[in-house]
Amino acid sequence: MKEKKEKQPQTSSQNLKEQALKEKSIMASLPDNLELIRQQLGNSSDIVIRQVGLPGEIAWAVVYTDGLADKQLVSEFILESAMLHDRVKEESKHDPASISPQLLASNVLAIGETKEISNFGQLFTSLLSGESVVLVDGHAAAITAGTRGWRDRGISETLTETVVRGPKEAFTETLRTNTAMIRRKIKDPNLWLETRQIGRVTGTEVSVMFIKGIAEDKVVEEVRIRLERIDIDGILESGYIEELIQDETYTPFPTIYNSERPDVVAAELLEGKIAILVDGTPMVLIVPALFVSFLHSAEDYYHRFDISTLIRILRYIGVFIALFGPSLYVAITTYHQEMIPTQLLYSLAAQREGIPFPAFIEAIMMEVAFEILREAGLRMPRSIGPAVSIVGTLVIGQAAVEAGIISAAMVIVVSTTAIASFVFPSYSLANTMRMLRFPLMGLAATFGLYGIIIGTFAIVLHVSSLRSFGVPYMGPFAPLIISDQKDAIFRMPHWAQVTRPKLMNRNNKRRQQKPASAKPKP
Amino acid sequence: MRTKEKISARQFTILVILYTIGTPILIIPAALASIAKQDGWIASALGLLIGLALTKLYVSVGRLPGQRPLFATIEHVLGKWLGKVVIAALVFFCLVTASEVLFYVGNFMTTQIMQSTPVQAFNIMFALVVVMAIYMGIETLARSAELLFPVFVLLIVILALFVTPQIHIERLQPVMETSMKSLVWATMYYTSVFSMTSFLLLSVFPSDIDQPQAAVKGFYQGITIAGIALLLIIVLCITVLGPDMTARQTYPSYALAKKINVGHFLQRIEIVMAIMWFITIFYRLCFYFYGAVLGLQQLFNLKEYRPVVLPLGMLFVALSLVVHPNVMHSSEYEENAWVPFIATFCFFLPLVLLGVHAIRKKK
Repeated sequence: MKEKKEKQPQTSSQNLKEQALKEKSIMASLPDNLELIRQQLGNSSDIVIRQVGLPGEIAWAVVYTDGLADKQLVSEFILESAMLHDRVKEESKHDPASISPQLLASNVLAIGETKEISNFGQLFTSLLSGESVVLVDGHAAAITAGTRGWRDRGISETLTETVVRGPKEAFTETLRTNTAMIRRKIKDPNLWLETRQIGRVTGTEVSVMFIKGIAEDKVVEEVRIRLERIDIDGILESGYIEELIQDETYTPFPTIYNSERPDVVAAELLEGKIAILVDGTPMVLIVPALFVSFLHSAEDYYHRFDISTLIRILRYIGVFIALFGPSLYVAITTYHQEMIPTQLLYSLAAQREGIPFPAFIEAIMMEVAFEILREAGLRMPRSIGPAVSIVGTLVIGQAAVEAGIISAAMVIVVSTTAIASFVFPSYSLANTMRMLRFPLMGLAATFGLYGIIIGTFAIVLHVSSLRSFGVPYMGPFAPLIISDQKDAIFRMPHWAQVTRPKLMNRNNKRRQQKPASAKPKP
Repeated sequence: MRTKEKISARQFTILVILYTIGTPILIIPAALASIAKQDGWIASALGLLIGLALTKLYVSVGRLPGQRPLFATIEHVLGKWLGKVVIAALVFFCLVTASEVLFYVGNFMTTQIMQSTPVQAFNIMFALVVVMAIYMGIETLARSAELLFPVFVLLIVILALFVTPQIHIERLQPVMETSMKSLVWATMYYTSVFSMTSFLLLSVFPSDIDQPQAAVKGFYQGITIAGIALLLIIVLCITVLGPDMTARQTYPSYALAKKINVGHFLQRIEIVMAIMWFITIFYRLCFYFYGAVLGLQQLFNLKEYRPVVLPLGMLFVALSLVVHPNVMHSSEYEENAWVPFIATFCFFLPLVLLGVHAIRKKK
């Protein structure tokens, strides 16, 4: 478990002031309150303060942030309802003091979501997250009204986890849209959502979502504890959270899964995992993560089981090639030529005749060139894409071979490896393979296959020691769990998947009842 | 805080298999064939039976009241002072034997595969992963064994399948030609490398296993499977290479793997087959080393064994370079010193432990 130092007591005067302001309660005088708001927000031009009421009548004000709050909601259902409300008109003439914020909330404002608040900390949080704040003169309380409505990107098709068959929608940057997309898939009262704000300055909303009764309570508690420990100024993407709560930082392997597909998150929730949604990013974190889940695609469950299983096996072959491809080539051509069939050896030797570098240098050059191309492809402006790819293919593919710098076989090996690293449904695992490839190549160049074997032992030992939120990372292979093999390398038909994965669930194991009758009869 | 690490009975079985196959898979066919000629396999079969009997002995030592780990048992049964002396001797045994195995790794690599690389490099590399494994603890070691076991099984099946076309079954004949004396000696020698070493498994059995009852069964199963695998390798060596060729090789299994030839395409893949014994040797080495580390822990009453792992690892690399100056020395040692050396620790010591315990209980 991670040990963290106790929170440092906030000693600086700046912090003390902020703390005092947060706890300062709302004053009775409306002008004082509005003055304080203006002063604290530095008269920011996007804060709209609308005061209502003639002299002598009841005075009240609506404060909202332009752009975050829906203007139509504010004007129609707060301003209009209150200004045109008969009773408010009547009472404000006779007994202005009887119009309290509570009365406004319960009888007047035609808004679904209202809340009474009493201090400025809550006031600013609500105001800056798009709610409207209603303050009434003479009352030391305020009402917040749920008027959030800002421009967002809208739900669009997923770009990073594409499928042929299955839902195409992806999460967006708005937390509420994302939770709604999951709720639409799981209509169960046991789907619980806990939201907290993390980030002292950004105050980013982070929601923990799980199915009560399926998710292990201990793991949920562990997630809460780890999120509670975070004390940072800003959370801008779920990657921040991932690095702050993962079990082991010094590992190339991702121990937290992420996805931008609501159907993947729903499926993982049903297996007893816990989703962590962060406002402002479409990437949802899922814990605990197993190594195998990085090789599972959502589509595996939508296609027939036989082809899904074969494709999964293909992915494992992809892992092998992506990890060992160039290092095996280097080891075999440098030290173990006897393994190559004679004809092939002749042609390889002929190709390599004019090449001035040892295979290792050749491989490193090609790999680095490929990594540069790949990174450039990601970062460059879209419009110059074709130019770079033409230069890349011509220079590296053909010219380098013709110029006698690189052998053609090496081009084949490196490009096969590169393509193999794209068969993983998860980008984070592809990065792992990318990183581990280089040390393995070094070992292969110095010790041949012996080096690769030693490197593999080290990798195997390392992954065996990893845990994700207490769950062994290499499960269900190590420790071996026979019943979980139904959804690891193989994907058994759905009628055969009667139980949930054992690693994750100890109390609620059953997925379907009566396994025998669930199998369709001919 | 991490709770005490436990491994499952299945993991223990896999560890027993890999550990017991260990070094013998690489060298034992030569020794047996040189002593008993084509009857070497009979010695191996007899050795398996003796191995099961010895396992019973070890299980009963492991299940002495309290079910302590090996070194705690020794100290508990023999008393503090005598116990410490015996533990110190056992640590020495573990360390020397571990270095000897590491010597084999280095020797195998330099004589068979990469002649011009210095042997120190191979030894240091291998010792590094062993140190890493022990540092990470028994739980990680057991899980890694589960991941590597399928690889081992796959390779041994490929080896057995691909050399079948070259089997000459008549090379086993005449059966029982060798003298009784050499058969007994061959069996004894086989027992000393195959089953006596499993005494050191008591450092995890049964105290570190979550189902001790199932682990007893797993112990027998593991020994049986390992025995059958070795028997298979020995029979293949004798029938494919012939008893004379087998006896003349230092590493007959490697020579056996060289014989693989499928359609003149898949040939000379012996280095891939070598992965098989790198896996088994790795686990054997880990347990010898773990024994030495745990022994030191018990000797000096340390709370945590990890601080001694790295220094001991360095010692162990250095020792592996000096333990045998050359191969002749090692074969001399194997022939004359090894059997009494191991029998003292892995045959007489458990008997003494059981005996002393029985006497003390009567009192």
